[in-house]
Amino acid sequence: MDAVSVRNLTMKFDEFTAVRDVSFDVARGEFVTLLGPSGCGKTTLLNLISGFLQPTSGTIEIEGKNVIGVPPEQRNTAMCFQSYALFPHLTVADNLQFGLKQKKLPHAERKARLSDVASKIGLGPQLAKLPNQLSGGQQQRVALGRALVMRPNVILFDEPLSNLDAKLRESVRLEIRAIQREYKLAAIYVTHDQGEALAMSDRILIMKDGRIQQSGRPDRIYKAPESSFVADFIGGANILDATVIGQVGEKNWRLDTKMGELTAQSDTPPVAKELKICWRAEKAQFGSGDLNTVTADIAHRSFQGNYTDLFFTVDGALQRVQLGEEAGELSASITFHIRPEDIIFLEAIK
Amino acid sequence: MTWRSWLKIGLLLAPGLGLILIFIGSVVYIAIAQSFGYYNLAGESGFSLEYWAIMFDRATYSRAISYSLYVGTASAFLAVAFAYPLAIWLRRPFSGSLMISAILKAPLLVHGLVAAFLYINIISYHGILNQLMQWLGIWDGPHRLQNDRNAVGVLILQTWKNMPFALLLLAGAVQSISDDVLDAAADLGAGPWDRFRRVIAPLSVSATQAALVIIFIGALADFSFQVIAGPVNKQSLSQLMVFFKGYGRWNDAAVVAVTLMGLAIVGSGVLAVFSRFVMRGGRLK
Amino acid sequence: MTRTGLNKILLWSLFGVCVIWLVVPFSMAILWSLVDPAEVWTPDKLLPPVMSFYRWTYLWQFSSLKTAMFNSYLLAPSAAILTLTLALPTAYALGRLKFPGKETAKLLALLPLVVPGFVTAIFFTAILFQLGLNAWRFGAILFAHSILFLPYAIRIMTVSFEQVRQDHIDAARDLGASPMARWYVAYVPALKPGIMATLLIVFIQSIEEFSIAFIVGAPNFTTIPTLLFTNLGQAFIRPNAAVLSLILVVPNIIFMLFLERVMRSANPALSSGKG
Repeated sequence: MDAVSVRNLTMKFDEFTAVRDVSFDVARGEFVTLLGPSGCGKTTLLNLISGFLQPTSGTIEIEGKNVIGVPPEQRNTAMCFQSYALFPHLTVADNLQFGLKQKKLPHAERKARLSDVASKIGLGPQLAKLPNQLSGGQQQRVALGRALVMRPNVILFDEPLSNLDAKLRESVRLEIRAIQREYKLAAIYVTHDQGEALAMSDRILIMKDGRIQQSGRPDRIYKAPESSFVADFIGGANILDATVIGQVGEKNWRLDTKMGELTAQSDTPPVAKELKICWRAEKAQFGSGDLNTVTADIAHRSFQGNYTDLFFTVDGALQRVQLGEEAGELSASITFHIRPEDIIFLEAIK
Repeated sequence: MTWRSWLKIGLLLAPGLGLILIFIGSVVYIAIAQSFGYYNLAGESGFSLEYWAIMFDRATYSRAISYSLYVGTASAFLAVAFAYPLAIWLRRPFSGSLMISAILKAPLLVHGLVAAFLYINIISYHGILNQLMQWLGIWDGPHRLQNDRNAVGVLILQTWKNMPFALLLLAGAVQSISDDVLDAAADLGAGPWDRFRRVIAPLSVSATQAALVIIFIGALADFSFQVIAGPVNKQSLSQLMVFFKGYGRWNDAAVVAVTLMGLAIVGSGVLAVFSRFVMRGGRLK
Repeated sequence: MTRTGLNKILLWSLFGVCVIWLVVPFSMAILWSLVDPAEVWTPDKLLPPVMSFYRWTYLWQFSSLKTAMFNSYLLAPSAAILTLTLALPTAYALGRLKFPGKETAKLLALLPLVVPGFVTAIFFTAILFQLGLNAWRFGAILFAHSILFLPYAIRIMTVSFEQVRQDHIDAARDLGASPMARWYVAYVPALKPGIMATLLIVFIQSIEEFSIAFIVGAPNFTTIPTLLFTNLGQAFIRPNAAVLSLILVVPNIIFMLFLERVMRSANPALSSGKG
């Protein structure tokens, strides 16, 4: 049985449809990320699962039980809010125990769970303080601890790290993942940060306009995007229009593009004669090769430390090449080649 | 802080805060001094406890104290009791909520005296309420409702006039509680009643205290509602004070005034502590 | 039941309550104000048998209504302007300067709200008697009103001064603005809604104020509230009281609607949403 099972979920607000016919499952102990730009419906989806919104149609099951119509206070979910939503009038200890008191757990059990979670999130010395006496990072931990202490079927994260500075974010990321693994919790994590999604998730669901565009393991999504939206949103791939002009052998196709004639290698055939293709900037090989050699004028360069981004224009659109030390030797133009297996077929051009 | 900057602040505060302190200070000072026999406008001035002693023996005085305390406390609690559920209901805007809050605040624009007139117009011996009750067959003949014994009329008017004020204060406090905090409470298993008891109430303590205290002081010192709609056989402290002043008995009026201020301070303190105790679930800290 | 369904039911029941609460009392008042003295309105009739504006014209011509209105409408704007003028320096100090004891000063400024109105009124007259100024009624009431309503003015203007943004002032200075130009570009826009709100609130409070006007003004200085009080008490004639009640209410409603506008433009609700 899955921890969460969502089927054909649709949510309409008057004219606007925030979630369209979404279905997915989350297994016990699995960490699933909903990733997408703002307005894509990911937070609405989270609010539907936690019970703050009632869907227009579709079903949600938590641990096999249909929870449509069940108010949030009766659902065994625990949410980590973006704003932390700590109770300003209660101490850290009382914040952490709020849900336990609501559940009417015996005193001894409450104390045991409180000290357990306090040591786990490292807030033992802060228990008597009020939320406004804590730093942002500490508040975030209280919010996390308050959800964890409930030992929910599923823990929901609504962009929990967006109010932390970049360095803190990295370390809390690891902590959340470690605790989630330890408690074997099912987790649904909403973010618009692709780095966060790639680093933390067992599985990513990419959303746009209320629909799931693609789902899968982080590395699969990175290596094999199915649409130009996904290719661009994750890793900012170079995207080109292409026309298939012939097949070579079983897996190789010849393509006509604005960057010249290219050969692509793919296990699956292109979806149409006219389609979008992409290639990753870091896959460019320095110097000329047997196939797909490109020479272009450098329009702009941007030094990134361990690598350098070089930009050139193809038909008015910027394309990006990522090179190591060798980029330093180049001045006016660049010659590189792309291996056929690094060119990926995307959706058809309408 | 140099003496120059102190001088600057002093000069800036003088026309506003300075005037307030001088005016209110001298009013309170004169009241206290007159209650002990000073500044006597007719006759000799000098320290005397006579006015207090005589006043304590008057039955009208002690009756006025208990009556004014009753009106003040009951009005404060009634106004807050009506305003609280409305404030929570109107916390999040919905279609029509703006219109409702505008209508609910309407009594703020209606002068108390006008309200009193409208009220006695409705409940008068041949007024619309008496007519309606007879027409419905509930009452056999018209009842005399004006100037009722238990000051129900005064309480209705005070509640009518003060509820919008309490609503204004409470709505501000309740609206400043973020949706996320209430959602978090729901998510952790708190139903509507627990959300009120454990989150909304403790977070709106100060607004409730302010509403209770201000309404209490206003109703404690009520004069016009009492004269128009109150019981004929009872007097409020303000009424008593105006009565003494009308006969030029300034020192007696001063005793009542000092009593009124004393009750206002003590009563406010008690109400503030009490509401904090109740709304924080039996804890003072 | 859904929240919207519940709201609909509550909305309609509230609408019903409002009819009882507002519509019925006011229509009764309007009807009573139209009763013609030619025939009395007995309880067995649904509407007054003869209706006319006789009471309105009668009161206008033969009562002290004209004097009362003149007094009230001279007093209120004078009090509004005087209060604002007195409040500005204090509000500037409380809103823009740092000094020890500022919070105490803010609390002390609320004192006039805490002392019961009749106590203030009676012992203010006592002081006037001591000083021999008891004949100067208009000035005395104006002075008392201005001080009594200072707390509102100081409160509102302090918040307004706090909202003047230091970076606007600094930007103006950086661009070489004179003190006068700085005042216009940084202070005036931020203070404008507060000034409007202060003037309106003091105006309405002064029009409505009863205790000072009643005690200090008695017996021969009338304002609209004291006139109404007399007509509700000693000289109670229901149709006349109805006319006076309506006269006292109408301007308030107009001013309050105006005030609501000013307040809304001063405090735009901030909203944010995310997907």
